[in-house]
Amino acid sequence: MDFELSQDHKLLLDTLREFVEHEVKPIARRIDEEHQIPDALVAKMADLGLLGSYLPDAFGGAGMDFLSYILVVEEVSKACASSGVLISAHTSLCCGPILSFGTQEQQERWLPDLVSGRSIGCFLLTEPDAGSDAGSIKTSYRREGDEFVITGSKIFITNGGYRGTGIVFATSDKTLKHKGISAFIVDLAAPGVTVLRNEEKMGIRGSYTTAFALDQVRVPAANLLGREGEGFRIAMDTLNGGRIGIAAQALGIAEGAFERALGYSKERKQFGVPICDNQAIQFKLADMHARIEAARLVTYRAAWLKESGKNYTLDSALCKMLASEAATYVTKEAIQIHGGYGFICDYEVERMYRDAKITEIYEGTNEVQRVVISKLLLADH
Amino acid sequence: MKILVCIKQVPDMESRFKPDSAGVWYSDTDLAFRMNEYDEYAVEQAVQLKEQLGGEPEVVVLSVGPDRVVEALKKALAMGCDRAVQVQDPAAHLKDPWQIASAIAAYAKGENFNLIFTGLQSQDRGSAQVGVTLAEILGIASVTTIVGFEYADGSVTVRRELEGGLKARVQLKTPALVTCQLGLNVPRYPTLPNIMKAKKKEILTLPVGELLHEEARSVTASFYAPPKKSGGIVLEGDVAVQVDQLLDILRDKTTVLR
Ligand SMILES: Cc1cc2nc3c(=O)[nH]c(=O)nc-3n(C[C@H](O)[C@H](O)[C@H](O)COP(=O)(O)OP(=O)(O)OC[C@H]3O[C@@H](n4cnc5c(N)ncnc54)[C@H](O)[C@@H]3O)c2cc1C
Ligand SMILES: Cc1cc2nc3c(=O)[nH]c(=O)nc-3n(C[C@H](O)[C@H](O)[C@H](O)COP(=O)(O)OP(=O)(O)OC[C@H]3O[C@@H](n4cnc5c(N)ncnc54)[C@H](O)[C@@H]3O)c2cc1C
Repeated sequence: MDFELSQDHKLLLDTLREFVEHEVKPIARRIDEEHQIPDALVAKMADLGLLGSYLPDAFGGAGMDFLSYILVVEEVSKACASSGVLISAHTSLCCGPILSFGTQEQQERWLPDLVSGRSIGCFLLTEPDAGSDAGSIKTSYRREGDEFVITGSKIFITNGGYRGTGIVFATSDKTLKHKGISAFIVDLAAPGVTVLRNEEKMGIRGSYTTAFALDQVRVPAANLLGREGEGFRIAMDTLNGGRIGIAAQALGIAEGAFERALGYSKERKQFGVPICDNQAIQFKLADMHARIEAARLVTYRAAWLKESGKNYTLDSALCKMLASEAATYVTKEAIQIHGGYGFICDYEVERMYRDAKITEIYEGTNEVQRVVISKLLLADH
Repeated sequence: MKILVCIKQVPDMESRFKPDSAGVWYSDTDLAFRMNEYDEYAVEQAVQLKEQLGGEPEVVVLSVGPDRVVEALKKALAMGCDRAVQVQDPAAHLKDPWQIASAIAAYAKGENFNLIFTGLQSQDRGSAQVGVTLAEILGIASVTTIVGFEYADGSVTVRRELEGGLKARVQLKTPALVTCQLGLNVPRYPTLPNIMKAKKKEILTLPVGELLHEEARSVTASFYAPPKKSGGIVLEGDVAVQVDQLLDILRDKTTVLR
């Protein structure tokens, strides 16, 4: 057993840290306030290869392993969770299923544009009446000649505002439940696709969360991902991997807040001593660190399981749950350690606190993660 | 054309340093290491020159040190160097600049480099001697502290930084060595695809014993933290008096009012 990162991972971390320090951290607050990641930053991330870390070099990717992708999301999220989820949703939820389920032609057609950032990827599963119960989606499709025609509405779509490439889930017959669902690769600038709105949110405010109306959207038959009726399995498999990315995002948020709290506790003096001389603060730091390290180990292990081709369903649910709960806990305590200053926007931990919450909700709420974990534990019951 | 870049791996300068058990250098346990900042300018300039010349020059990057320096070499390869040489020396920190320069010279002699780039100095030892000593042993021209670099037809023109904000232009014929200073360029981030491509590039390992037969000419006798400074000067009295005191201090102890 070896807990040491490889030299190549360390080199990657070194690069990521320099990039994030100079290009992301200085504008993270502005990204939150202006509800927008500057296009220039998206371009820089693409140029560095952050939008295709684990995709094969045949498609312009870096050809790194899955853990490298996790390190990318974690390091970027330490400074800016909005940028972290842009990478995560783009990579795990759009490039991922095209790589896993797409034909050679589909991969060649879409992946180079996605990896280079010419098109930003989305995943369109959730609907107003179908969240946790994704098998109950109502967006429908029918075949017409060599086209599919899709109609319905999608909500809460990360990266939707870019109107790039989307993996759209739709059903041929709602009474078939999840067996009626298929997945399509859809150009989100195509006729019939309308952006209803980009939501105003509590956190990750630089990330688009978009509501779409799909009105008779015609997609070529060649855009069917996998086989008809295979869509639900594609969605679940994709979210399985995606959750490790969300765990990495949560881990990054927690680490960013912890770094600040630790530093602040040594500088801030009250009653004539640095506040970290109080056991009340020391115990907070110990608890925060403990949760971060536990979450990190489970997250890295889930990444390793996926990379090794082993079953990782339980571990991805576990790491998403642990890391997101570490993030909400650690950011809350980071504010507390900052006292009144923590409540003030200049100190940025308040943004991290707002950003952390969503990680307990998307890509399966933590209740749903507990359902997944306990089902597997009780599989033979 | 053949270019050599000499790089050193140094600890993150924000680390907390403790003397090692012999008390002659810092202990390297628990330290995170990275490429010496000045050497990043050297790597960047070499790679820019390679690009300027349409990729023709071969850029070799060399580091003397224990196996962890391979990480810094890999970064240089990912930034665009063609191949790397590790002069393997677990005790490099006990060698003086003369010995380090001698070991590099022993390697460089057979390779006939047209240009050598080094950092101005290392962030940890700060001797600023290795570059110029290397040039001297090789018998080639050298110029230090460059903040600008141009190359055309076998001739190098550099801008140097002098005291008091002055600049100088120096021309030199190759073969030559330059030591690079902050401000020369902005080192690129190695892209993720280039980090992967660097894995396929050659890293040659040469034990230092094969290259170095020189005795040290200087030794570090001890390494210690300075005594804690007293808390600074607090000026008292009314504002006019304080201003006079401050002016006196600035005049006596600093150069700002000269
Ligand atoms: C910012 C943001 C970005 C998002 N990005 C995307 C995206 O890119 N693509 C996409 O398709 N979706 C996206 N989503 C949707 C997200 O995945 C859903 O919001 C999430 O799955 C929960 O669904 P819901 O909001 O409908 O909540 P509901 O399913 O209505 O859940 C409400 C509450 O009931 C609980 N609950 C529901 N069912 C059960 C059960 N069986 N057992 C126990 N508790 C249960 C939930 O845990 C939750 O606490 C995003 C959402 C947000 C807010
Ligand atoms: C929105 C807002 C409104 C406010 N309104 C007012 C107002 O109207 N009038 C006013 O006078 N003030 C006001 N305040 C100030 C507020 O009362 C202080 O912020 C609060 O008392 C904490 O002080 P501090 O921010 O300096 O934090 P610190 O005192 O620096 O505390 C930092 C951390 O160290 C801990 N700590 C400090 N000392 C100890 C100790 N001995 N043992 C254990 N832990 C310790 C704290 O619990 C905290 O977790 C306001 C603050 C805010 C943010």
